[in-house]
Amino acid sequence: MYQCKDIAEEVNNYIDGHLPLSKRIGLFFHLLICSCCRNYLQQIRSTISVITVSHPKENDETDTKILAKQLHDLCKNHDH
Amino acid sequence: MKKIFKSKQQDEKVLITRLIKGEQSAFEQVVSDYQNIMLSVARAIVGEAFADEVVQDAWISAIKALPKFEGRSSLKTWLLHIVSNGAKSRVRRENRTVSLDDGWESVSADKFDQRGHRLDNVYAWDVATPEALLANDQLQSIIEHSFQKLPAMQRAALTMYDMEGIEMDEICNILDVSASNVRVLLHRARTTLHHSIEKYQESES
Repeated sequence: MYQCKDIAEEVNNYIDGHLPLSKRIGLFFHLLICSCCRNYLQQIRSTISVITVSHPKENDETDTKILAKQLHDLCKNHDH
Repeated sequence: MKKIFKSKQQDEKVLITRLIKGEQSAFEQVVSDYQNIMLSVARAIVGEAFADEVVQDAWISAIKALPKFEGRSSLKTWLLHIVSNGAKSRVRRENRTVSLDDGWESVSADKFDQRGHRLDNVYAWDVATPEALLANDQLQSIIEHSFQKLPAMQRAALTMYDMEGIEMDEICNILDVSASNVRVLLHRARTTLHHSIEKYQESES
């Protein structure tokens, strides 16, 4: 019988479909009877959507225009 | 979905032709689209200190090899494999190892009783759509900040899987880790970002 702690540990694998069927069904039955875990699952789904939409980026100080120009010049020299 | 994929492939073919022709704007586009994710992969494999150099070398190799690009993968995954190979050989040269266990903030055990039941209630978030949540600039900057504090391996896995939709097998090849390790990295990264959003939600209510 699966408990809330199992949901917390496996929630991402559950969402991504990375679990064997027996475990998936076991967790599904726990979700049916536990509103806290249903809310937790929903929060994690929202978190993933927020990450996808907000698309946070690496800190990067590269001047992409200068890099693009260097690569462009390299390409021209490479051709000649 | 197939239509979108086909039109993406077409766009990419056009972009590659423009690059081979040497159009400046094509170079600007490709650098602007892929520099950040290439840096993410390099930092995950080789660490902060050598990442910039590895990415720069990868760009040079890619531009030289571009006429031979056959389009069997997307331009993005092709570039990521080039940066990944460069980073892996740099790791071998520097004899470095990157730990998968850095910076892990799990769901704390004190949230559960001995039988594994939750001790406190978990409530549904009032505003659950991402657009509504992100309407607030403060939350956007909290997410940025939490993301940047994640270990580089977690950032790279999250970027590739959740933001760029790269297949699990590709991610394993690029980062040179097993699928179960990628799943652990994703779980840890999402859990940490969930904590940040949860704290923000609590402070607002």
